[in-house]
Parts: sequence; structure tokens; C-alpha cells
Amino acid sequence: MLQSWGVQLMTMLTVTLSVLIFSFFFLIYTNMIHVGDKIGGELRLIVYLESELGPQQQDDLKKKITSFRKVERIVFISPEEAFAQLGKQLGTDRDVLEDLDASFLPYSVEIYPHKNLKDLTHIKEFSDYLENLPDTIKVQYGHGWVERFGYFTKLLRFVVIISGFLLILTTMFMVSSTLRLTLYARQKELKVLRYLGATNGYIEGPVLLEGFTLGVLGATSGLFALFFLFQWIKSHFSGPGLMNLFEINFLPWPYCAIILFCSVLFCTFGSLLSIRKFLKI
Amino acid sequence: MQENTMEKPTFTFQPTPEDISTQTGAVMVELVKVTKIYPPDVVALRNVSFTARRGEIIFLTGASGAGKSTLLKLLCRQERPTKGLIEINGTDINKLKSAATQRLRQNIGVAYQDFRLLPRQSVYQNIAMAMEVQFKSVKEIRQRVTELLDKLSLIEKRNKPAGKLSRGEQQRVVIARAVANAPPLLLADEPTGNLDSNTTLLVMGLFHELNESGSAIIIATHDKSIYEGSNHRQFELHQGEITQIT
Ligand SMILES: Nc1ncnc2c1ncn2[C@@H]1O[C@H](COP(=O)(O)OP(=O)(O)OP(=O)(O)O)[C@@H](O)[C@H]1O
Ligand SMILES: [Mg+2]
Repeated sequence: MLQSWGVQLMTMLTVTLSVLIFSFFFLIYTNMIHVGDKIGGELRLIVYLESELGPQQQDDLKKKITSFRKVERIVFISPEEAFAQLGKQLGTDRDVLEDLDASFLPYSVEIYPHKNLKDLTHIKEFSDYLENLPDTIKVQYGHGWVERFGYFTKLLRFVVIISGFLLILTTMFMVSSTLRLTLYARQKELKVLRYLGATNGYIEGPVLLEGFTLGVLGATSGLFALFFLFQWIKSHFSGPGLMNLFEINFLPWPYCAIILFCSVLFCTFGSLLSIRKFLKI
Repeated sequence: MQENTMEKPTFTFQPTPEDISTQTGAVMVELVKVTKIYPPDVVALRNVSFTARRGEIIFLTGASGAGKSTLLKLLCRQERPTKGLIEINGTDINKLKSAATQRLRQNIGVAYQDFRLLPRQSVYQNIAMAMEVQFKSVKEIRQRVTELLDKLSLIEKRNKPAGKLSRGEQQRVVIARAVANAPPLLLADEPTGNLDSNTTLLVMGLFHELNESGSAIIIATHDKSIYEGSNHRQFELHQGEITQIT
């Protein structure tokens, strides 16, 4: 058995690495979602209108908007309200508005879209649609990069799924082929054990345990590696700047538990695969 | 003496309502018209019928190539018969599934003609293995293995790798492994082939001890010294056919 220690270690490191890769992308993804929620919360489209709309026209416009896409809410803003808002935003500088009156501001509608990935990534289309409505002068929406952010998150989700698949494949494949190697080396012994009446359980037990142990050790060290990587990134990139916007958090422990559990499950299953052909009598 | 502390050997692989193997004289092994042909056309056994009872010692003799080993291999389900019925303890062993086969094998001690030891494992480990697969306790294993090593005068070799032993020493290790669990049925294939007369006596002493505690023993041998003048039944195989001599 001793000569196979190197192989066992390699297998464990492979498990570690795949867990690290997967959980790294997953960590970024969960944080992006978190940031997405924040941005989505502030996100709105502002449609500037030609003129004031009566209640009937307001209803018509609402229908037109919602017929294109369901939204969270629609708020009609009069120039006076817009003026008050502007004043609030300016804070101590509000005296620049002193000589002005509200009438220079147009009537507008604020549209708050649903905060999901699909609506975020398709916000441009929505804005184009609104632009072409008869009453519209102009459409403004918060940050142009919201859309790109949406796409990026989507891409990331894809990467997470792919690396998840890789995690499953590598752990199962590596564990089962490593154990198969050690089983080949022990083939003669297994044969003798069978002649002595060793049950499937007797032969399977240690192999399953080995797969299980590889899974536990590999996944735990993968998660620990992620944690240290996370700490390192946090200490190097936090401070003033863009990173402050994204307050990154580590994976919540139930996710870690699930990752650990699944890796152990796949490793154990892999070890079961390796032994099947050795159980024939 | 060992047999006082040992349980009566009993088949456990398929308990029947009244476990017949516990009654002395009950049929333990029954072969009915068994033929074994190794592909493509080597007829190793031809229409062999034969019965062994509980607590019996049986000698199988015959020229080299007569089919003695084949007969023993059929009994521990290492080979399958081409034709015929083999019952052990009232069960047709051909119908056994994997798990039951393993239980059958746990109940039969086999001293193989070709040894089948693990050369790199110690003598002790090779013997202990037979008990470990039955999940016997470490203490029980240590006691029994030490006792057997002592009885077969192998005690100084206990930590040597089995592959480094002489043929005669290896032979005794195989025998120790076969009797370790005090099986109700013991199959010994040429057990004294490599032994001097004193060591042969040690081994036969061990067999008789096991037999007195109730085990049936089938010994395939060329060694006249162990069966001549004994009052046990003797069968001779001749080109795959069996005849009872005594
Ligand atoms: N696995 C096998 N494949 C093909 N033929 C075999 C096989 N095993 C044994 N035989 C043949 O079957 C016949 C009986 O062999 P077996 O080993 O039973 O003889 P034996 O009585 O034990 O001989 P010995 O006293 O030399 O051990 C022989 O002709 C042998 O060549
Ligand atoms: Mg033979």
C-alpha cells in the first residue's frame, strides 16, 4: 500500500483543486448576485414626457408599458415633485435653484423594473421600446454598465455550472481510477480473500472508506484554500475605490456544507465504481 | 486442549430447521454423478458419486492428474461442475448466489495444493486473514494464530514474509490458515507433500484434533504413510472415475 501514497496524495490534491475552482467561481457568483440586488434596487428608468398626462392617459401609458414587460412599479412625477427631489439631492447646494421655478422641468415617469437577471440584461430593449412611445421625449436609465453587469453575471453562472460539472467528473473519475489502480495492485490478495470467504462488505468497506476520506480531506482543504484566497483578496483590494462597492462576503456555511457533502458523496460513489468489477467471484 | 474451548463446528451458511451438520453421521457432502470437463475437452471427473458424513476423515488417492484437486475445487465452488449435483449440508451449491457462496467458503477450510499465500505478508498475517474476513475479534485471532503457530512449530517464523519460507514451512502455514476457523469441513490437497515424517505427524495430529471436535476432513494425497493402516474410508480416482477402496 505504501507505494500508492503518492497517487493518493495526487488524487486528494485534484479533489482539492476542483473544489477550489468550483467554490471560487461560486463565491464570486453569490457576491455578484448580492451586488446585483443592490444595483437593481437603485435602478430605474426615467421617461421624460412631452406634456402632462391626464388620469386616463396615465392608465393608457401604464398599459402600454406593462404590455411590453411586467415591472415592479410605475410612478408619475410632476415637475414640482422632480424639483423637490432635485433640491434634496443637491443638499447644501440647493441655493442654486433659488431663482428657478419648477416649470423648466418636464413631466416624467419613473419605472422600476424587476430585479432579476433577465430584466437586467434586456434593459436596453426596454429602453428602446419606451423611447418609441408617442409621448416620450427621452429615456434615461441609471448606469449603462448595469446591462453589461447583467451579462457578466450570466456568463459567470455558466462558468459556475461548468466548473460544477468538472468537479463532479474529476472527483469521481480520479477517485475511481486511483482506487482501481490500488485494487489492481492488490488483485492477488483480493482473490485469496475471496477464496477465504470475504464478503463484499469486507472488501468494499476499506475502499469506500478510502474514497470517503479522500473526499473529506480534499474538499475540506479546498474550502480552506478558498478561505485563505478570500482573505488575501480582501486584504489586498479593499480600502477606498471600486472594491468598496462590492463588499465581498465568504460563502455562507450552509453552502460550504453542501459543497463538502456533495464532494464526499461523489468521491464515495467513485470508489464504489472502482470496485464493482473486483467483486465478481 | 483446544477442542474444549472451541465451539462445535457448524455450517452457518444456510441454517436448516434442524441443522443436520450437528448430528454425527449426517450427510455433509453429497456428489451425484458429477462430471467436470475443462474446456475444450479435458475430462477431469467422470460421473463421480460420493458421500462424506459429518465427523468423517476421507482419503482421496490416485495418480497425478486423476482429478483429486478438481474434486476439492468443486466442493468449495472454485470450479463449477459440467454435470451433476453437489450438495453441502443439504444445499445445492450450484444455486448459491454471491453472498451465500462467500458464507459457504467461510465454512470450508481449504489447504490448497498451490498454497495461495500472500508472499509479502507475514506468516502471522497470512493465517490471521482467514479469521479477519469473518470479523473475529483481534484477541481471539491472536490466541488462535499463536496456538496454531506453536502446534506446527512455526513460532519463530511468525513475522517472516511467507514468501521467504521453505516449501515445507509454507505448507504448514497453508494448513494453519485452513484450520484457523475450525471449519465444519476441511479440504486438504496434498497437505504433507513437502513435509518430513515428524512434521507430517504434527499436521496429522492437528487434523485428528479437529476431527474429534466434529469436523469432516477430506484429504487428497499420495502419501501412503498417512492413510495406510488407518480405519478411515479411502477412495481412489483413476482418470476421473472414483472407486471406494476401503
Ligand atoms: N484449469 C484447468 N484447465 C484445464 N485443465 C485442467 C485444469 N485443471 C486441471 N486440469 C486437468 O484436469 C485433470 C485433473 O487435474 P487435477 O489437478 O484434478 O489432478 P490431481 O489429481 O490433483 O493431480 P496431482 O496429484 O498432480 O495434483 C488433469 O488432466 C489436468 O491437466
Ligand atoms: Mg492436485
